[in-house]
This record gives sequence, structure tokens and C-alpha cells, in this order.
Amino acid sequence: MGRENAPEEALKLIRSRLCNPSFVFRAFSDSPESNYSKLKFIISSSVTEACNNSILLLGPRGSGKIAVLELVLKDLLLEYADMISVIRLSGLLHRDDNCAFKEIARQLCVEHQLIFSKMASFDDNSQFMIAMLRECGLAHKTIIFVLDEFDLFAQGKQRVLYSLLDAMQSITSQAVVIGVSCRLDADQLLEKRVRSRFSHRKLLFLPPSKGDIERLLEHIFSLPIDSTLPHDYAVEFNAKLQIMLADDKFKQTVNAHMNSDASVNHLSRFLFRAVSYMDLGSGFLSLENFKTALSNIQRQPKLECIKDCSVLELYVLVCMRRLEVKEKNSYNFITVMKEYKSIHDSFKTSDYYAQNVCLRAFEHLLHRELICFTDNRGYNQSVEFRPVKLLISFHELHQGLKSYRSCPGILVKLMDHEV
Amino acid sequence: MAETPQKAHQTPRSSKHQQQVKPKPSPSLTPATPQTLAPRRSTRRTSLHFNPTPNPHKHDDGIENPIEDAAKTPRKANKIRERSVRKTPRKSINNAEEACIESVKTPKSAKKSEKPGSKNGDDVVEVQVSFSPASPDPSESMGRKRKRGEGGMVVTRAMASSKSEKKRGSAPPRKRVYYKKVVYDGGEFEVGDDVYVKRREEASSDGEEPEMEDCRVCFKVGRAVMIECDDCLGGFHLKCLKPPLKEVPEGGWICGFCEARRSGKEVELPVPPEGKKRLRTMREKLLSSDLWAACIESMWKEVDGSFWCRVCWYIIPEETAAGRQPHNLRRELYRTNDFADIEMDSILRHCSVMNPKEYAKAINEGDDVFLCEYEYDIYWHSFKRLADIDNGEEDGEEVDNDEDWTLCKDSDSDRDEDFGHEEENLKKLLTKLSPAQELAANSRKGQFFGLQKIGTKKIPEHVRCHKQTELERAKATLLLASLPKSPPCRNKEMEEITAFIKGAICDDQCLGRCLYIHGVPGTGKTMSVLAVMRKLKSEVDTGGVRPYCFVEINGLKLASPESIYRVIYEALTGHRVSWKKALHLLNERFSDGKKTGKEDDRPCILLIDELDLLVTRNQSVLYNILDWPTKPHSKLIVIGIANTMDLPEKLLPRISSRMGIQRLCFGPYNYQQLQEIILSRLRGIDAFEKQAIEFASRKVAAISGDARRALEICRRAAEIKDYNIKNLKSTTNSVPSGKSLVSMAEVEAAIQEMFQAPHIQIMKSYSKLSKIFLTAMVHELYKTGMGETTFEKLAMTVSCLCTSNGEAFPGYDTLLKVGCKLGECRILLCESGAKHRLQKLQLNFPSDDVSFALKDCKEIPWLAKYL
Repeated sequence: MGRENAPEEALKLIRSRLCNPSFVFRAFSDSPESNYSKLKFIISSSVTEACNNSILLLGPRGSGKIAVLELVLKDLLLEYADMISVIRLSGLLHRDDNCAFKEIARQLCVEHQLIFSKMASFDDNSQFMIAMLRECGLAHKTIIFVLDEFDLFAQGKQRVLYSLLDAMQSITSQAVVIGVSCRLDADQLLEKRVRSRFSHRKLLFLPPSKGDIERLLEHIFSLPIDSTLPHDYAVEFNAKLQIMLADDKFKQTVNAHMNSDASVNHLSRFLFRAVSYMDLGSGFLSLENFKTALSNIQRQPKLECIKDCSVLELYVLVCMRRLEVKEKNSYNFITVMKEYKSIHDSFKTSDYYAQNVCLRAFEHLLHRELICFTDNRGYNQSVEFRPVKLLISFHELHQGLKSYRSCPGILVKLMDHEV
Repeated sequence: MAETPQKAHQTPRSSKHQQQVKPKPSPSLTPATPQTLAPRRSTRRTSLHFNPTPNPHKHDDGIENPIEDAAKTPRKANKIRERSVRKTPRKSINNAEEACIESVKTPKSAKKSEKPGSKNGDDVVEVQVSFSPASPDPSESMGRKRKRGEGGMVVTRAMASSKSEKKRGSAPPRKRVYYKKVVYDGGEFEVGDDVYVKRREEASSDGEEPEMEDCRVCFKVGRAVMIECDDCLGGFHLKCLKPPLKEVPEGGWICGFCEARRSGKEVELPVPPEGKKRLRTMREKLLSSDLWAACIESMWKEVDGSFWCRVCWYIIPEETAAGRQPHNLRRELYRTNDFADIEMDSILRHCSVMNPKEYAKAINEGDDVFLCEYEYDIYWHSFKRLADIDNGEEDGEEVDNDEDWTLCKDSDSDRDEDFGHEEENLKKLLTKLSPAQELAANSRKGQFFGLQKIGTKKIPEHVRCHKQTELERAKATLLLASLPKSPPCRNKEMEEITAFIKGAICDDQCLGRCLYIHGVPGTGKTMSVLAVMRKLKSEVDTGGVRPYCFVEINGLKLASPESIYRVIYEALTGHRVSWKKALHLLNERFSDGKKTGKEDDRPCILLIDELDLLVTRNQSVLYNILDWPTKPHSKLIVIGIANTMDLPEKLLPRISSRMGIQRLCFGPYNYQQLQEIILSRLRGIDAFEKQAIEFASRKVAAISGDARRALEICRRAAEIKDYNIKNLKSTTNSVPSGKSLVSMAEVEAAIQEMFQAPHIQIMKSYSKLSKIFLTAMVHELYKTGMGETTFEKLAMTVSCLCTSNGEAFPGYDTLLKVGCKLGECRILLCESGAKHRLQKLQLNFPSDDVSFALKDCKEIPWLAKYL
């Protein structure tokens, strides 16, 4: 392979790493304090010791709960080849009890090459599940139930959870229930009889610390020396990478990104973007790439919205703002138009449009969610008469007006006046 | 039963007892028998030459109580050879029989009833009539040629009674007659017995079947004690060994030959003296696949008078697809799902196949002891653990409990018809696996068809070979699933329940009654009731209590409250109908007193767990169920279990007046009780520090008094300890010295994990902006005193904080995103982000928690100012 192709190959490799959560989280898997080894221990001990367990994986979104779980499951499936069957449910899809049991039955059937009937009733399916738990327990097989969005299962009567956990009270069954949720109070949502049966193992997925992030960056970016990539290129790449990682400015850039959200997922999205800016000519990552990515990724959608507004729309917004200052709590298009007219009358602006044009602008604002209806009532009323509210704060509006290319002076003056 | 009159003439059986009656070979009789089935092993079903081993001695022995016997002999760890052909009434397999409370009597009780003046009232007559011809009669049994169809020698107890009552008239005479117990050629065979079965014609040419193996060294049987090698299973006289042993050693013992072979030496086994052919015992023949072992499933007399039985084969490990696996024991057998009908001729004699628990206890059971832990599926070549059928105390059997009742009903009334039918069905299921006939696994119609597919191809090694550490044993006993025989610390409540049920059943009027049991979760409500029911069931077996039906229902497992009618009806009669029809039929039965079958006469106990789930809008379901017991002839007893104390009060007055009279409260456990519960499970296992257990139980008692919690905490603590030890081992490769007991630290960690909300930890590790956001929330709260704020106000506060402390204000949109993230984790309660500036925010945790978490944040020290 020529030297020319090498950067492209390297880029491909890094991108594929970033898109593969199991590679990203592999970085944390070796230490005994990591969730990976804890989770693996719990599950594997319930496989070997034939016991039942229920575990909650808690942590903010993007902290790698599912990724670590998948990593563990993958390893365990290799280790105990046909002793584990995994049933995956998601609270978003299977919140309904009936549907959840059906899905469990379906997946069990698929797993064991049985024939599944869509017609089976709730009773049949739940009894089938209990029968299967028993049979699998007798055959030294563990069933792992993964309940994604666990908090959604904890709504209503919690029949699914109760049946699952109650079935696990029997000596013959051998099952692990793993709930995954971003709600920290997920276990408080359980009904007390369900909670009493839950075995309350909790694994907390915390955002990575500074040191962890550094290790992670190195883990992701450093190229393998002994692969199809040219040896000298990989060595050089890694050397440059080390220099960059040690750079304070680089650290600042990454920290600036991590300030708002410290999760791994958030970081890897940023890194993907940065990597995409890599200069294929030189073939090395540079600080500039990361800076560009940062500025690209930190967007202010509302401000940008204002930038895209027409002048008339700005007028409408300012009018609404003025109405609010006058402590008129409820206003609709008609009152806004009155205000607009009064501004026009007092300042004699050049931008005066007919009401139907203004209505178009008003509707446009509604669509862009810069303003919204106060309530959901009155669907049958026409738009003009429904009370509305401004969804953008004064400061944003002020800032937006200032940065607008050709903002009418009168609007800025009106806003400044308020300040 | 121990004081039976038989005791006097029981031969004292000790390990030294070597007396043996040589069986007489008798001319074989090969009757032409109808070939009913023709699946796989046809050889097994050919009529075999008969080789009777009549032995008057056996007769008495067969009735002996094995427990008595074991008590008499000094307990030795090793299995001592002994001449014994014993009939152990195998309850474990004898499921059907166990369930038939009415018809089953143990052999002992039957014997007892022979004695004049025994108590068993009306049973005596039947038993005597049917039993007397079978009483030990050497002259008859010694050289007996079989006379087919001689009814006299057949003991039919259950069947005799049912026949005399109703079968005689209605059933056509030319039919198979099923028996529970048959005395056949001097052996007494019962359904559920394990027997040796002949495999080949020439197998019988050995002529005599030694029941006692020769010594491997002197090739004599002799009277001396023999010891068995754990490896080759050879027998040795103690005095023939070099050096001779005085007594049987504790633990395992391996003979010198095997030891030498293991160490790689060539071994020359002693050659038997000229002229003496070494006789192989049946056990040896079985293990070298010259014989078969089987378990009798049912026995019947054919129309032509020949006796047949349906057996379930055992298989030796070598014959399985996986072959002998390294962890297989020498005496291990697998039970198969292969059934065959064989003639009783081919049965040689009893052996005993035991489950591991029995096997571990078996000391003096003789040579014909085998271990069977797994079932082998001959179609799928897979293994499955045998469920412990006899372990009634295990929770897993709950499911079967109500089935037992229906089963016994069938077996009494229409057994004959059923059997033929069932058989055909079974045949169909097993033989025709064509895809067209395959049924869905999860539908009831298919009877969960295809579950037999599940099984391991090989028994995983860790199951057998892994030696459990103390911690792992502790973990296993602390499992919620491993229920103790009776819940400790609930004696008073259990007595009350027993008194209630007994009062309700034994009352001649049998006025139905209701009991409402309430208490917080994990206080052993259901477990106590089930324990009481088990005890009562055993009392029914011994005849202390009238038989009854028991139906257990869990309100949370019903699809809808109404479906309870369907479930009850199905449990009572075995028929599935719609709930409306079921309600109608149940009403007929309970309210109008219309009884259709004779079993309907039994009192019926209905246990409804999670009763509160049955509350519907007009509460008709509860009303109906609770109204039936008040009807004069309903004979229904309802036990309702729920958590709330005042459930009856919340219901309509007409319901609470029916339910709220008798109540039983299961209070939360106090710490001594919790401690006792934990200690009772951990008895004999040295894994916990005493204070650790006390700490856990005190903590749980203070919070909820939930025994499940306490057990889970201890299990988790053991798990943490185990995890730490294993980590230490893998990293440093050093075995930790001394005992590793679970200490306070681990229990503390487990309690933390269980009870402490994780929010403080999460807050500490949050991103910078989130921390500032939270601080602003608290600041806002202090400032205004209002819990609720809007995003606009909060953003103002944040920007103030940022500017005054030299931080860059991140912008509204980023801030909104941060707020929404916090809302997702429920650290904040917030409306959806679409509301933007109007979004309402509120802290989900006390502001003190936030202050505690963020006070000493190193990253942003100025936060402390605002907290």
C-alpha cells in the first residue's frame, strides 16, 4: 500500500472505531472497578451458580449503559456458548403488558427454534414464559432479560415486572433481569411488592473523569503499529498525536466541549466531527481540526432562527415583547397587530404590511416555534384569535437583533429603550 | 409407623448379613403377547425368558421401612456391600400416586391394617380382601409357575375399591385393568419402582443372578464386610486388602489396583480360581450395557390375562450422544423420555435409582443403587435436570399443585379410557414430528409443544466439578428462591392459619369462611400459607384431615380480574371455558349446591394472592368470590392476601362484611427475627461475621422489616466479598490467608447500594455547566423561597453567577440542553424543552443534597459561595 492511501485508511479506521460503542467502552473494561467487570461478575456468577439476579443500570443518557452491557453479553456468549439466551425488550415498544409477554414468547421461540403463534393469549404467553424459565433452569440455561427504558415498564400495574420477578423466586428458574434506565429514581417507581422481589443490584454509570478521557482519546486515536498501515506512518502519527494530546490548548478545546455534557457519547460525536476535518494531504490530526469541530458543534439554534427571520417577523416578535412588558398576560394576533399599528403610527416606519401578510409572518413564527399557543384548547378557532406566547427570552431577542444584518434601527432602539 | 407389628420379624439387617437364597432357575415360558407398540428399541419388548428369583425373604424385606433400617446400622461414610433386594417406595417418581390421597396407602399402613383392631375403619375390609393372598407364603411363591389371570395374587388396592364401587357394572369387562401394585413372581412391584430389565435372550443364560458380588481378591462372597472402590466399583473384603483394614474408612476409597493404574503402572488383576466363573452382578451388567434399568410408569393386565407394564428407560452415560463425560459418576444413570410397554416377565428385580440428595444419604442400600440427576432426551440428545418432584417444599412445585388435584380425579374415575387416549396422543407427539403437525409452542392448544427441545447438549462441567467455596454456598442459601421448609418466626401466624383451615374443613357443616391476611411485602404471608397447606397435605396423606382441593391464584398474574373465574374453574375441573360460562358453572356449584362429581364434595380452599388487584369498578368479582363461602353447601374457604391493612374498609360494605371478619396481620419482622431468618439459612456455613448479620438485620428492620431485603443485602454483601477476593486472586495471584468472612464493610456497601439514591454520586461527577445549573437552582430557591422556577429566571441567575465569577456564559440554548439532561435523570423535574423560556423547573431532591454534593467541588470552588 502506498503512502498516499495511508491517511485515508487511518481515517477509516478511526471513524469505524468511533462509531463502534463496544470499541470505545473496551477502553474501560480492564480495571476491576469498572462497571464492565462488575456486571460481568454478577451475570457470570448467576450463570455458573444457577441463581437469579436483578440489576439496574443507571446513568445519564450516552454514558454507555447498553454499550457496556452488550460488551459483557458478547463476552459471556463466547464463554458459555449455548447456556445463555438473551431477551431484549424496550419500554418504548413493549410498555403494554400483553405486548411485552408476546414479545418475550416470540423471542424465546426464536431462540429455541420453536414455533410461535401470534394468536396466543396473555395467559398462554405468561404461562409459556414460566414453563420456559423452568425448562431452561433445568437445562442449566440462563435467560437474560434486558429491559431498556426500564422506567417505562414501571408504569401501570407492572404485571410484566411482577411476573418476571416472581417467577425468579422459584428454585428451578435461572434468570437475570437487567433494567436499563436513565432515571436515577427508577427503583423508587416500582410498586412495593415488586420492589420487594427486586434484588436491588445497582450499577451507576458515571461520566468519565479527566484521566479517563485522556486514556480514551489515546485508545481511540493511536494507530496500530503492526497492521496494514505503513509502519513509519503509524509511528509518526502516534508521535504527533502524543504531542497534541499533551498540548494545553487541546485540553481546553476538549474541556470546552465537555463542559455542557460530559458523557462519552457526546465526546465521541465531537471526535467524529473533528476527525472528519483531518487534512488528508498531511495525514495527521491537528489542533485546528478540533477547534473547527468545536465551533461547528456548538450551535445556538434560537439565535440562528432569529437570523433567518424576515424584518416583519422581527417586528412581530418585538411587538409581542412590548406587550409582555406592558404586563398583558394574554394576547393573540389581533392584539399584536394593534401594537404593531401603534408602533407604526408613532414612529412612522417604512415597513408596514397588510394584515394578511402579517398573518403569514405570524404563522411562520409559530412553525419555527419562536412563539406558541398558550394552550391546546380552541383547535377550531382560527389562528388569529388563539392566545399565544413568546418562546424566546428578551436577552436572546436583543442579541439576535444586534447581530441581524440589516435590522431596522427602530427595533434595536425599542429594545435598548427597555434596557 | 415405626411400631408396626412387622418389626418383630424383620431380620436385623446389618452390613455383615450375607445369607442368601439361591434362586432356582425355572423353565421359561414364552407367551404369545400382542405387540402393541413398535418404536425404536424393539429388542426390549420381545418377550423374554423368565427367570424367577423367588425368595421368601424378599417378601418381608420389601415391606421394611428403609429409614428404620438405616438407623439400625452404624452409619458409615462408605457404601458397604450388602445383600439386599429392597423395595424402596420411591416417592419421588411416584408423583401420581402421591397425589391420589384417597387411594394411596403406603405398604406399611396396609400391613398394619391386617392387624385386628386397627383404626382405618372402612378401608380395612378392602385391604384385607385384596391383600391377604399376597401375604408372604413361601410354599406358594417358591416354585411358583405363573398362572396367568390368577386374580388372587394381584394386589389392587386403589383399583379394587373403585372397581367394586362403580366399575363393575358400567365398564365392559374386556378391558385392560390398571394396577398400582402387583405382586409378581415374588417381587412386589409398584408404580414408580425402578427395576432391572433383561436386554437379551442370552442374558438369562447366566442362570443365576448373584445379588452379592464376589470379592475381587479371594473370589468368595463370605459374610465379611466388603468395601467398594470408588473408581472401578469392585468389591473387596476388608481382610483381603493389603494391608487389611479394620473398618471402613471415612470418605472416598480407591482400591490398590485403580491407584496403580492411575499412576500409570500395568496392573495384573487377580485371576479367579480355576473352574469358578466370575459372576457379574446385575449392576455390573447394567453398567456394561448388558441389562437395562427402567422405571415402572403403569401396570395393567391385558385382556388375555398377561401382565404388562409401561416403563421409562434409564440409560447409562456411554449410551448417550455425548458419551461418558468426565464428571459422570460411576453409578450415574440418565432417565430418558423413551417409554415402552414390556411384559412383566422381563423384569428381573428391583434396583433403586436415587436423586443426588437421596444418593448422598444412601449408605447401606446395597449394590443396586444408582444416581440419576438428569433426564436425557433421546430425540434431541440433550440433558435436562430432573425436577425434584418429591420436594414439595420447593417453590417450583407450586405450579403443579393444583394440577395434582385434577390429575387424581382423572385417575379415579375414567382412568381406563384416558389411558388409552393419552397413550395414543403421546405416541403421536413423540413419533410423528412432521412439520405439518407441529404446533405453536406458546399456545395452550399446543400444550407448550416442543419444550422437550430445550436441554443442554452436554452437562456443563462447572455444575458438577466446581467445588463451592463457603461464600458461594452462603450465596446459594441466601437466594430468595431457596425456601426453607417452614418459615421461621411465623409459628403463631401459621398456627392461626392451620386452626382456621382445619376448623373450616373438619367442620361437618363445613361452613365456608374467609380469611384476610395482610402485611407489608416480604413478611412471609404466602410462604406461611403454603407451608401450612403442605403440612395439611401430609396430614391428609396420613388420614388426619379430610381431603380437600387447593387452588392458588395470584391476582397480578391474571389478565383481567374476571378471568379468575376461568382459572378457578379450570383448576377445579380441568376444563377451559370462557369466564362467563365459568362464573355460571361456579355459581351453580357453590351457590346452588349442584354437585356433579363425587370430588365436588370436597371442601375447596382458594388462596388469592394480591387480592387488591381483583377490585373492579363495581367490585362484582370480589363480591362473587366472597359471597360463595357464605352459602350453606359451598364448602369453599377463601384466603385472601394483600398488602394493605384496610382493604376491606375501602370496599363496599357488603364486601367488607363478608371479608373483614377474620383477619390476620403479618407484622414487619423485627431485627431479632430477621437475624434468626438469616442465621437459620446460614447454619453450618461459616461465611459471615456475626455483627455483620446483626447490622444488616437492624438496618432492614428499621426501614421496612422486609425479609427479602435482608436476605438480598446479605447475598449482595457476600457477592461483593467474593468479587473482591476473586479480583485479588487474579491480580496478585496470592490466596488470601485466613478465612474470608463477610464483614461490616461489605454489608455497609450492600446497604448503600440498596437504599441510597445514587443522585449525590451522579451530581458530583456531572459536567461543569450542570453543576452551575444546579447551584443556580439552589440559589434561586434560597432567594425566592419558591420551589418552582422557570427557565428564563434561572438563565438570568446563571448568567449573573457566570459574569461575577469570570466564567463564560454558555448561551441559552446550551443551558436549555443541560437543563433537559438533568430533567431526564430526574434530578430536576421539568417540563419538555419545547417550552423553552416558560419551562418550569423544580429540584427533585432536597437542596441540601445538592449543597452536600457540590460544596467541595475542586473544579469550580466558587460554587460553595452560593450554596
